[in-house]
Amino acid sequence: MSDHKERLEQSLSALMDGEATDIEMHRLLKEVSNDSELRDKWKRYHMVSSAMKGDAATGTIDYSAAISAAIDQEPAHRQSRTAVFAGSAGRFAIAASVALVAVFGVQQLNSPLDSVGEISEFAGVEQATEENTGPAIQFPSGFQPIINARTVSAGGNNKSSQYVTPVIEVRQQVNRKYSEAEVRAYMNDVMAKHSNNAALNSNQGMLPFARLNEAEAAAEKE
Amino acid sequence: MVLSRLLTPFKVAALVAAFLLHGPLFAAPMESAHDLMSKMAKASRELNYQGLFTYEYRGNLTSMKVAHGVDSGQTFERLQHMDGLQRNDLRRTDNVDCLRTGDLLLRGSAYKINDQSYARLEDFYEFHIKGQGRIANRQVVMVHVLPKDKYRYGYVVAIDKESGLLLQSVLMSHSGKPLERFQFVDITIGVPFAELEFDLDASDFASVALDQSNCIDDKYQITTTASNWSAQWLPPGFVMASHQVADSNGQESMMYTDGLAVFSVFIDSDQGRSLPAIDANLGATVAVLTKADINNQEYAICVVGEIPRATASQIASAISLAPSPAPSTSISPLP
Repeated sequence: MSDHKERLEQSLSALMDGEATDIEMHRLLKEVSNDSELRDKWKRYHMVSSAMKGDAATGTIDYSAAISAAIDQEPAHRQSRTAVFAGSAGRFAIAASVALVAVFGVQQLNSPLDSVGEISEFAGVEQATEENTGPAIQFPSGFQPIINARTVSAGGNNKSSQYVTPVIEVRQQVNRKYSEAEVRAYMNDVMAKHSNNAALNSNQGMLPFARLNEAEAAAEKE
Repeated sequence: MVLSRLLTPFKVAALVAAFLLHGPLFAAPMESAHDLMSKMAKASRELNYQGLFTYEYRGNLTSMKVAHGVDSGQTFERLQHMDGLQRNDLRRTDNVDCLRTGDLLLRGSAYKINDQSYARLEDFYEFHIKGQGRIANRQVVMVHVLPKDKYRYGYVVAIDKESGLLLQSVLMSHSGKPLERFQFVDITIGVPFAELEFDLDASDFASVALDQSNCIDDKYQITTTASNWSAQWLPPGFVMASHQVADSNGQESMMYTDGLAVFSVFIDSDQGRSLPAIDANLGATVAVLTKADINNQEYAICVVGEIPRATASQIASAISLAPSPAPSTSISPLP
């Protein structure tokens, strides 16, 4: 047995064990198309492994010849000259767009905020990009009407409301022993106090009140 | 050829002259970001203005009409909702001259963290002037405010060139996504107080309790009252700006700021039992409530603010009760 063959067989058994590297996989796929001995071996390995797993033997019929004949019959598969040209143009287009992305990417590096002038992302829902490192979460189930269900893992109506009314967004709910009204009253109270604090101390003019009004509106919407 | 060779020195001379003539234009003093922030801090409290602004987050947009006026030491504010439910809010702040921690920080004062270290706004944010723009039909200077760490958010602000008033503020997540946007669409600045038509006798003015926040004294110091509660960890650059001792409901609160971002800490002893742990956000505001069981007493510790969730959680878990009150804190600007 030649070195080459031996290596291929080693790669094949590695592949069957799910341990083949990308290079081994490529080499195997290349070789298997013109090495019928290797192909048969691959087939046998498959049958053995499925037999060992208790699956019914499925590898007895070889569809490959019929499939490749059928592919040859397909008119679309026969490449014309224009198709070849279109193919390379497509590659060029991809390369060009990669270049564009690269240029764009560099511009973005200047400042992550540079693109803010035209903010269009507001129409969408801000994805929760931060990890939820918060404490164990419990929430009364009745709280849901003012909860945006998007991130509520227990709720079934995910994605149902992209344009929701102002809502208090809660991550999860587990426990039912707390009074919904009490929790809501508390949240509104601390939001109001915080906004007052912020208005006195952040120098951002009316902004904190805008936030506060959202909170109140959320409470009133029910 | 001869002619053009003769002309060349003239062209050069003309270019030099043009450059010199325009020199003063280039050299015109460009306001530093620092000056702008300081101007903004003054403008938002001292100016009379009325206008319309929008507030937007996550696809929700609301609009409000606002009037802000200062008269004989008092600040009057009126906020009218332009959509949704009919609502008017009236507010009056009685001491217009009161400067608070946030004012000092935004105006560029350094403050004392402990005996060894001082810090100031520039230590925690980078300011980039991004040229000019137009907001609410007024010329503005765009400033990008980038946080230097992950504990706070960044801002894109538009400051009115003439008055220094904040006309737009976009809170930006660390990935550069807008979390909320506040923006004027129309504004008149410098309206005489009488024309703002405040009904000064109205009884429905919500008077802002002044002890909610502390003013600087004549030594430029702000002293907050002592508390048994203290934060074992704070994001760098944040200082306590006010402390409210336990009220009749057993709620004690503290407020911290780094000059731009603000968060509040609420500690409830009575209500602690009836509240669950909460991890919620409303727009850009996050609320993290943790439960603490100390000496058989259940406490609810809630951190509310426009800060990243991770920061709020970290603060909430760092709040602890000491057997004796921590000494009152005072901040003082660098000499």
